[in-house]
Formats: sequence, structure tokens, C-alpha cells
Amino acid sequence: MESLDTNFPVRHRKISFESKGNKTEIVICSYEDHILVIATQIGAMGTILHARKEEGMSVEPTFSVSVIFGKRDEPMLTATARRLIEHISSIVPSKPLVLSLGLKDHSSETLKEIVATVIENRLWRCLQKDDINFRLLGYEMGPKITKSENLC
Amino acid sequence: METEYDQVLRSVAQVNIADQIGESDDVERDGNGVKVSCFTEVFDDVTIQFQIIRLAKQIYVWVGCNSAKFGSLYAAASTRPSNTVSVTSVLGGTSDNTGSGIARRLVLKTGLNIILACNIPKNNPLLEAKAEKVLIRKLIDLGYTMSKPVRAT
Repeated sequence: MESLDTNFPVRHRKISFESKGNKTEIVICSYEDHILVIATQIGAMGTILHARKEEGMSVEPTFSVSVIFGKRDEPMLTATARRLIEHISSIVPSKPLVLSLGLKDHSSETLKEIVATVIENRLWRCLQKDDINFRLLGYEMGPKITKSENLC
Repeated sequence: METEYDQVLRSVAQVNIADQIGESDDVERDGNGVKVSCFTEVFDDVTIQFQIIRLAKQIYVWVGCNSAKFGSLYAAASTRPSNTVSVTSVLGGTSDNTGSGIARRLVLKTGLNIILACNIPKNNPLLEAKAEKVLIRKLIDLGYTMSKPVRAT
């Protein structure tokens, strides 16, 4: 379910599914300078992580992922944020991710399912105002985008 | 002489928790699941956007001032043993912590567990107070508030 108000500057999408018997709700919000993903099974935001692509000169991208609120001893949560920011930054390099995981079950199967669901329902296919002259992926000879367009 | 800021603060303090009379049309219904509501208010020449995401035990609020930037993130809740309100900056946050006061007073007024993202510029207490008043009123209208507000300290 996606927000219908085209005038509101923040788009969001809400998904609900069941994972290992636990009802899982995901909300994805696209702000001007961040992506927020909330995945909850406990009715609260739980652990909040921040992940961003680091500016660097190397060919291989590097990412900074940190827990900013909640459990700091769960490496799978950090790995989840890492997987998501890698995907996000391949399409919208300038947007960091704020990921909230309020889960009953921290198993790799549940987290993989959450990552797959978020990627499948992503909001970051669109070009943003900051990405002027950014070429559409897959369209090598496509036109340059010189004004802000919402192509979703 | 009472300034406009004092008047707004006074009207914020007078906002009372009333019985829920129904949810507004811009709230997405999903049974007992997550509920998202988005709305906009204009104060003079400033546009404030609000996004409220209600989870079962917590409420996430985003307040945007003339932009859709995420802003600074704060967490606030009532804490044991005497139910006092604690607030912490989770992400961002300038030296004057614009938004932390809003988060704290939201918990005081509504008794809710709040995560607030706010990009209201600093050194604008009048705008903060106006946004806070609208937010509290909306939380009450949506029926998200608890019956007994947290005791102020």
C-alpha cells in the first residue's frame, strides 16, 4: 500500500506479511536526504541503525553502518543494514539509510525475507533533484535528465 | 506584555485530552497494524509537513519545515521509577537540540513512547511551539493518546 497524496513531499509504502508465524509490518519512507525503513514484529521500532555509503577514491564502495539506538551485540542486524545500503546506494548514491528493526526473531531467514521484501517494494527507483544528469540504469544511450522528474 | 510565543505556549498547555471521536480521513486503516497519516499546515509563509506512523507500542513522527529533509532524530519516553520523561538525541542534533523539547513535551502531554524526526531550524521557538500544538492536537484527534498524561517534573 502506497501513499496516495501526491502533494506530500515524503512518499511511503506499507507492506504486511507473515514470517515464521510472526506478523511483520514494513514501512518504507523516502525523504529528500534519507531513506527510512521500519520493520517491526513487536509494535515498536526496536533497534535503529544508520548506514551510508562513504565517499572514497577506491573503485570498490565502502559503507559505514552503526547501531544508533538499541541492541549493539546483534551482528545480523548490522549485516541487514549493510545489505540494504549496498542496494540503495547502487541506485541513489547520496541517500543514507535509517533502518529500524523491532523483531521477535533475529534469524537469518527472517532478515533475508525482510531485505527481499524491502528491495522488492523499494521507493528509490526514482531520480531525485540532486541527481541531475544521472543516467537511468540500463539505458546507456538514454537521454540526460536535466530537470527534476518523478519517473515512478 | 504577552508575546505571540507566550500565547502559543499557553494554548499548547490548554490542549486537553478528549475522548476519541473517530479517525480523520487521511489515516490509512489496517486493522490493528501500522497506521500512517500525513498532513500539512501553513503558518504565515512557512509550510510544516507532519507524518505520524503509529505502531502498537510506539509512535514515530516526522516534522518537516519547508523541506523533506529527515532532520534530527530523538527518542523520548517515560522512564521508571517515577514515570519521568527521558529524551535522547539519536541522530543529528545541533547544540540547542531543536526538536528534543518537542519530543519531551509530546510524551508529557500524551503519555506515548515517541520517536521524533524534526528538521525545524534552530532559534525559532515560535515555530516549534506552533508545530507542537498542531501535533498534540492531531495525536489527540487520532485517538493515539493515553488516558493519563505523564506527570511533569
